[in-house]
Amino acid sequence: MNRIFKLTVVGTTAVLVASFVVLLGSLAVELFAESSLSAPQAAEVFFAVKLSLLTASVSSVLALVVALPVAYLLSRRSFPGKALLDTLLDLPIVLSPIALGALLLVFFNTPLGRGLDSIFGPFVFEVRGIVLAQFFVVVGLAIRLLKATLDGIDVEYEHLARTLGYDQLRVFTKVILPLSARGMVAAFLLVWGRAIGEFGATVMLAGATTMKTETLPVAIYLNFESADISSAMMFIGILVVMSFAILFVVRKADAR
Amino acid sequence: MPADSAHLCVQDLGLQLGSFALRDIQLQAARGEYHILLGPSASGKSSLMKCILGLHERHSGRIELGGRDISREPPERRRVGYVPQNYALFPHLDVERNIRFGLAARHTGVAEADRRVDRVCGLLGIHALRQRPVHHLSGGEKQKVALARALVTQPEAIMLDEPFSSIDEGSRRRLSFELKNTIAEIGITALHITHSIEEACVMGERLSVLIDGRLVQAGSSRDLLERPASEAVARFLGYRNIFEGTTREHPVGTEVGMEGFRVLLSRQLPAGERVKVCVRQQDIKIVKTDVPIRGTLANNVFPGSFVRLFPTSDACVAWFRMQGSEQPFDLELRFPLHIKGRLGLEAGVKASVAFHEPALVVFRGE
Repeated sequence: MNRIFKLTVVGTTAVLVASFVVLLGSLAVELFAESSLSAPQAAEVFFAVKLSLLTASVSSVLALVVALPVAYLLSRRSFPGKALLDTLLDLPIVLSPIALGALLLVFFNTPLGRGLDSIFGPFVFEVRGIVLAQFFVVVGLAIRLLKATLDGIDVEYEHLARTLGYDQLRVFTKVILPLSARGMVAAFLLVWGRAIGEFGATVMLAGATTMKTETLPVAIYLNFESADISSAMMFIGILVVMSFAILFVVRKADAR
Repeated sequence: MPADSAHLCVQDLGLQLGSFALRDIQLQAARGEYHILLGPSASGKSSLMKCILGLHERHSGRIELGGRDISREPPERRRVGYVPQNYALFPHLDVERNIRFGLAARHTGVAEADRRVDRVCGLLGIHALRQRPVHHLSGGEKQKVALARALVTQPEAIMLDEPFSSIDEGSRRRLSFELKNTIAEIGITALHITHSIEEACVMGERLSVLIDGRLVQAGSSRDLLERPASEAVARFLGYRNIFEGTTREHPVGTEVGMEGFRVLLSRQLPAGERVKVCVRQQDIKIVKTDVPIRGTLANNVFPGSFVRLFPTSDACVAWFRMQGSEQPFDLELRFPLHIKGRLGLEAGVKASVAFHEPALVVFRGE
């Protein structure tokens, strides 16, 4: 029985790893077949990479800034309706990004949405729309990750700091932030990685316009749509490398 | 102790935490007193301590420290030091920076901070640890660093939450003396919570007993051990021999009739009253039948036999069945280990035991 169990565990892992290797291998074969990059292609790649990095960074920072107090509230306080709030904030994690993008699009057609448009400038079919879409897709994940980090910090540290003369804000900056720093970095990288790969909500709110709202996933979509498989593969390759690097850094940080 | 002469004074304190409540808590500790808050697990000791620290908001009552009402003050302004059960040393700071953590909050000048840290480290003998990371410290060292961190801010009182729970048995006794000496040398009022009766007796000048959210008795350890205020206190303090019976008149005083035996008391109690009689294991004497029994000891002599004996490192616990009893055992005794050998006590050995009347505790109307 032990032998069967070991074979099942190792065998399943091996099959899964092999399938991943085959997928990535086919990508590599396709990429090596296309040896050169034309000037317009290079400009498009540069634009997509730059836009993805910029929008994902801004939306991830915003998500963490908003998620931190919410995660602290959920981690440290009990109040009526907490379960309801918790569930509501989890919705972006399970909701289809396309549905989330559609909700945002509908919102900006309401008087309140139009009001926001007039204050902050247009969101629909604009780069700010990408940031907003990515923000709503990742904020639930950011709350979940930060809450897990804060749950792991013994509340006695905060109690003790209060008795030593620190008010709640200074306890947060002097105790909670240093103790959760590693968890926050890991949360940022994971959220950022999710934002980089975001497509559904982005395409619904900001559209898919070449060299305007063309993030890496949008570029993959646009190139596939125009049957330019080799360009699409190049964008996929970039996305794979970036995603792998992020996950690897997170894992290394966690292991320390 | 009169409330107006107390340094730490808790009056009519009430707290509701879900289904648990602290009710009508009255606790007083004089300036410089080492006060023990004793109680079983989940009796509310930590909750009461956290009310005093300001970490739980009380629902009623008043807390005074040095004549100052601190009931509405936030924890950072109460000037009450805290040593948590797990010590809560900040893992991202070394020992020195842990100790100085509170000084930064109170904007203590560099020279004054250095002087205080040097003094407290000297008092606790932890100079050599100052540059060490906290995760390299032993349980006893962590306790001292946590104590130093609390003391350098010069609080008016200090709360110690089960400070020996992470200390191995061998070091506990030595550290308890060191802790008490340090607190006494500084002259600070201390409230130490524990569920250990032995620790309470070794450490405390005065003890308060908290059971099910109520402070049921306060006094010296001797007062508490010899005169528990209720059956619940007696049970918590380790009384194993508690019997219920009805009083009857008797020429000597009062006779309490139990199931299968009776106890004579020299004092007068109204006849027909249901009472409970308690006696500690160590207050039951093994008597020699060939030697005349003197005084009130002769009033309560019970022949029978030992059922089982449980030798421990320094004492022997024994179960004793009275003659004619059908119970597995009626009494639990505790006596020095050498008595077992000297009297040849084994399971099945017949003997007589007696209650010394001053050691009998009677609860009426419970």
